[in-house]
Amino acid sequence: MKLFKLILLCLFLFSKAHSNTIFELIKIPNLEVYNIKTENNLRYLYAKQPFTIGVNNNINCFNSTKKDLNQKYVIIEKNLNRYSKDFLKKINLRYIVLCEDLSISGIGTAGIPDNIMKTLIVDIKFNEKYFERVLHHEVFHIINDTYKELFNEKVWSSFNPVEFNYAECSTCTKKIGLDTYTKPNGFITEYSRSTASEDMAEVFSHLMYGNLPDEIDPILEQKIEFIKKSILKIDENFIL
Amino acid sequence: MIKKIKASTSEKLIFIFILILGLFTLTSFLLLKNKCLFVKNYDPEKINFKNPANVAILNVGCGNVIIELYPDVSPNGVERFKTLIKSKAYDDVAFHRVIKDKLVQAGDLEFGKKGNIDYGKIGTGESGLGTIKSEVDKEFNYVRGSVGLARSLKYNTEDSQFFIILQDEPLYEGEYTPIGKVIYGIEVLEKIKYLDKSEYVLRPDFINSLRLFN
Repeated sequence: MKLFKLILLCLFLFSKAHSNTIFELIKIPNLEVYNIKTENNLRYLYAKQPFTIGVNNNINCFNSTKKDLNQKYVIIEKNLNRYSKDFLKKINLRYIVLCEDLSISGIGTAGIPDNIMKTLIVDIKFNEKYFERVLHHEVFHIINDTYKELFNEKVWSSFNPVEFNYAECSTCTKKIGLDTYTKPNGFITEYSRSTASEDMAEVFSHLMYGNLPDEIDPILEQKIEFIKKSILKIDENFIL
Repeated sequence: MIKKIKASTSEKLIFIFILILGLFTLTSFLLLKNKCLFVKNYDPEKINFKNPANVAILNVGCGNVIIELYPDVSPNGVERFKTLIKSKAYDDVAFHRVIKDKLVQAGDLEFGKKGNIDYGKIGTGESGLGTIKSEVDKEFNYVRGSVGLARSLKYNTEDSQFFIILQDEPLYEGEYTPIGKVIYGIEVLEKIKYLDKSEYVLRPDFINSLRLFN
């Protein structure tokens, strides 16, 4: 054991301080540039090695193969190109981190938005079926976090039936289905029933992906209008 | 009577070898100790500047670093920088954050002054003039020698601290307010004291003076 400690100490003493520009900017280690010359100024980074971040190191993500990255990058860029440079600046999104098997405290997740660090971590292997829509869902969380005042959860909840209550948090419920309801009845997917912000994100992502249900009830109608109006308050040129 | 013994040829050769070795060691020691020996010191008076009103001369241990300022790119940032230069605020201020071959950072006027340095707080000091808004919208290539204003994690927190990069940093574009570029003397900055194990420097090098050319 002593020998092990001694080796560790020697490694520490003889290893130089390593400074990485990406880490300096967004505080995520082991990343490399995938593409930074994009039309809307988004900077795509990828995990060269697995990384661990967050409170008590509770966020983990792993590196992908070059082939998977190349395949998914095309899809991700196509979807995120719908957001203009100006809009992205307003919502504080600049870095897209591509990795796989993303989890928070052991629970798998599609993305982790962080508007303070201007970063969205995307699990490129998350749910193939809904991958594109989920990208917009995660972008909405960035929008929501940056403009909390525009997306008032009390106002949003008032659209729902009086007897309905959301869960305490998005991971405190088993309502995680992402299939779009054919008869929505106020909620567009099962996951919409988890929390107000997830409900908003689901409506926004369906609007962006263009797969709203054919039948829209009055509650969902109100919710759609709320999202549209709020987004236009951020950027009057935004096309939904 | 003491009998004189003549040195053999091999003994003479060993003696000459030791003598040369001694001289070589002494010279090397003196040369290596002078870190500025091969660094060119530019004299701004001998250079014709296109726009002398936007030239600043940063004088450090190994000589002058000549910076061209870009008020067209960041009017507020350059104005702040000039204001502080005119008041000689940067004189005797430490290069408190230095990363070998990457960047040098200075300008903590509150905790980085020679004789009054506070290692616990260095890098967090203020100028007293308040913060200014980030100017990151205009295109700017952060290439080696570019000078930018440092800030906290949030935008619009620029004050007096600035950095000069020693390698191209394309990711800095849109992140930090650019105020200029070193046009002569970047090699002087490569001699600024750094530590291998930390970005923050104990017993750092200091700015001797920072002046506007005109």
